[in-house]
Amino acid sequence: MEELELQPVRTRILTDKDDIVEMIVKYAKDDVGPDDVVSVAESVVAITQGRITRPEDLKICFLAKILCRFVPQLGSLSSVAGMQSAMNAEGKWRILFAMIIGMLAKIVGKNGVFYELAGPQAALVDDVTGTMPPFDKCLVYGPRDPKGVAEEIKSRLGCFGAAVADVNDLKRAAVLGVSEGLDPKKLARILIDNPFGNASQRTPIVIIKNYGKAEKRAEGKA
Amino acid sequence: MEFLMIVVVLCVAVSIGVWLFIARQGDAEFEFMVKDRTPFILEEWTEKTATFSCKVPFMNKGTQDGTIMDAYPRHLLPCEQYDGVEVNSRMELMTAPRTDNYFEAVIIPHGTGGAVAITVTFTAKKGSIQDALDEMCELTVDMAIDIVYQIVARTPWYIHKTRMVMTCKEIMDAMQTKNAAK
Repeated sequence: MEELELQPVRTRILTDKDDIVEMIVKYAKDDVGPDDVVSVAESVVAITQGRITRPEDLKICFLAKILCRFVPQLGSLSSVAGMQSAMNAEGKWRILFAMIIGMLAKIVGKNGVFYELAGPQAALVDDVTGTMPPFDKCLVYGPRDPKGVAEEIKSRLGCFGAAVADVNDLKRAAVLGVSEGLDPKKLARILIDNPFGNASQRTPIVIIKNYGKAEKRAEGKA
Repeated sequence: MEFLMIVVVLCVAVSIGVWLFIARQGDAEFEFMVKDRTPFILEEWTEKTATFSCKVPFMNKGTQDGTIMDAYPRHLLPCEQYDGVEVNSRMELMTAPRTDNYFEAVIIPHGTGGAVAITVTFTAKKGSIQDALDEMCELTVDMAIDIVYQIVARTPWYIHKTRMVMTCKEIMDAMQTKNAAK
């Protein structure tokens, strides 16, 4: 019986001149079978979509200077550039509203309200150092239409499915978009150990081998 | 009127509270401690070139984490001062040596630091590098090197410079030490 297997695929550094689907076809096509799921790192999808900015290009508003002070240091929004980029993506009044409600919620013991209200980009923005050179000096937003990207990958490769995932070494995994029929939570659990590796490993694509067979087996047992 | 006064007083109180919070929180504060740097040592020597290096410690002395986005050495040897050599310089983190003269952005938690290696290569424009550096020392030419670094933290990004001086005496000492070792 074939088991699930995670197969990272090494690529060159992808840039905004690349089409992510074409690159996946170029580097992974020969390794992908009909029962496999192709997952791709969200930051790389975003970079190929040109969703990057430099701190030098941001016009920092007064509100960003204040609000970044209330984000714990490990968060991307704790730097003024990170906060400003989130404000540019989601609107500064929305971020302010989310921050106020989030603080009030924290007082009564409820965490995570800020990110629920601030919009998806607030959680997805990667601050400088968040990605590999030469993008280590850039802020990277979340990708545009991750579900659409996943559907396109599936359609081009004829695989079981595809996903755009946000995974890091801190055992945090979120799947932002999947092709029809895939369970994002289940995929997040499979990818929790960050098979994409660190930036220098340059493996933004991970093939989940035999996913389809495992699904069918599970359905059969049920 | 009373309600308006309460609103104004509340706004002022919140503003003062936020200001105090920010003032108490502080920010990242980087220092490249050029006074504590190691002397330059001669790394490589050819007929035309001589390469020296030294280590400079740095520290985030502030109260917040900060990111060194970019850092590089800017050597200052104008031809008016001495025209016998061409200079190249580079800088890299001791913990992340690279071969491409690219400085990868790095987060430095507050209260911690590290060190950079600064490498300076002199290439003789005419004749041998030995003669060129001898002449440079005869003319008592000391070369300033600015460590230029870009920081991003709680406050908007900024670029700062710290100056160190590579003295001609140091160059001579490094060459003599190497010759003695040979």
